[in-house]
Amino acid sequence: MSLLENIGSAVIKLIKSFTDIINFAWKILIRIFNRNTYTSAMRTVLIDQIYFTSVQILPIFLITSIAFGSLLIGVLFLQLKQLGLTQYFGHVLMGLIVTEFSPFVTVLLITLRSGSAINTEIAVMKVNKEMSALEAFRIDVINYLMVPRVINGVISIVLLSTLFSVVLLGSGILFSGLIFGMSIDAYSNVLLNSANFSDIVIALLKSVVFGFFIILIPVRFGLQASHELTSIPIVVSRGMVNVFAAILTIEVLSLIIKLF
Amino acid sequence: MKREVKVGLFIVCTAVIICLALLYLANEKGFFAGNYIFTLSSQSGDGFTEGMPVEFSGFTIGKVQKLELNDKGLVLIKIKIPQKHLKWIKIDSTFTLYRPLIGAARIIVTTDNLKSAALPEDKIPEVQIVNDINDSIEKVQPLLDKTTQIAENLEQVSSKIDVMAGKADMHVFGSEGTVPQVNKILKDVNGKLERLNPTIDNVNKISTEASEGLKDIGILRSNVDDTLNAVEDVAKGVDSIISTKKEPEIKLP
Repeated sequence: MSLLENIGSAVIKLIKSFTDIINFAWKILIRIFNRNTYTSAMRTVLIDQIYFTSVQILPIFLITSIAFGSLLIGVLFLQLKQLGLTQYFGHVLMGLIVTEFSPFVTVLLITLRSGSAINTEIAVMKVNKEMSALEAFRIDVINYLMVPRVINGVISIVLLSTLFSVVLLGSGILFSGLIFGMSIDAYSNVLLNSANFSDIVIALLKSVVFGFFIILIPVRFGLQASHELTSIPIVVSRGMVNVFAAILTIEVLSLIIKLF
Repeated sequence: MKREVKVGLFIVCTAVIICLALLYLANEKGFFAGNYIFTLSSQSGDGFTEGMPVEFSGFTIGKVQKLELNDKGLVLIKIKIPQKHLKWIKIDSTFTLYRPLIGAARIIVTTDNLKSAALPEDKIPEVQIVNDINDSIEKVQPLLDKTTQIAENLEQVSSKIDVMAGKADMHVFGSEGTVPQVNKILKDVNGKLERLNPTIDNVNKISTEASEGLKDIGILRSNVDDTLNAVEDVAKGVDSIISTKKEPEIKLP
């Protein structure tokens, strides 16, 4: 009986956590589409957030993209050549690398760097009662703290995953020449033939959804911190686990959408 | 550089890259170009699908937009060709539906003379059909026939072997066959062997007795050895008596 109770309790917790996140997401979405949200203070926070999340890490991100992307493209092209599947390299490049791999790697990098930082930041603010202080000054915490971070997540993921794709396609020019002896014209023609407009739109939409949730979930879990310092690591670890679960769920959902 | 400028530069540059990439893709895919619709005909709509690519020299130059059935029962295939690929479609171009064994079907345009006049939009060329599956089946058909013949021959051989096996069975296992004869011989040999058993017992008994007799001969021999030793002692005694006398002759009484 206790086993059944445990299962039931876990499922109820899961459903409650899921509905909490959806409710919170809805609240943030309404604020995003509300013109009054965009005050000068909020815009300053938004610029700061984009700066910390995207601009500050740009050199490291580009170096990582070049190194990782070149390695991946090189290995993939060699494998395709060895298996005699050269004619499919355009489909692999566009269908797998650009529309699937780029958003996924970008999301992982941003989650590890910024998701955890935002989760901790919000939890610390909650513990230090900074939220209460802001509310005491009649500052809307959602508009001032949460909406800029979530918008920053969306903008950063979309832009950085596009940059990642551009870097990968650039590596593709180099490796298609080295491995397949292909000219740039032939390479771009293969890419164009393989490129599917709907796939690119789905990839961009997926990046938007990724960006929204990988910041929203850490913010939500950061708010669950109590007034004790020991609650910070607990909410941070919970938040990060939920972020990774959300990433996998979004990946699976996008695959299902692509199938139909 | 101010933080705001850096952020603005990053967003603008990346957004421009995205927009340019999408515009380039849209342009190359012919979203902005004018399209021409040509109509092809076929006796059957089998193998045609809407969205099917139209290829020239391995490059996709258009796609099938619509399939219709006219009043005469002919299938009309409307293909959409962007303006920039219009130069490949000429009045003497041939259109072939290619259905490969593996991969998607496509319409292949072949133009021998690129200087010919352009194909008028109201002309309806007929599509030839190349079906790799049917061609493969035709190629495989003689092989299948031969295989069937071989199978029939094998069946005949097998029936002959069956008859021979029946005969062999009769010769080997029949009432006058080899196996019953061997059984009979074995039974005879068995009976004779059973009859030999008492004789072997007797031989064993004699052998045991002979062995015991040999033991008695051993004892007898040791007795004889003792007697001979005693005689030898007496002979030695006599010999010693005789050697001490000056006259070796013994006067008998």
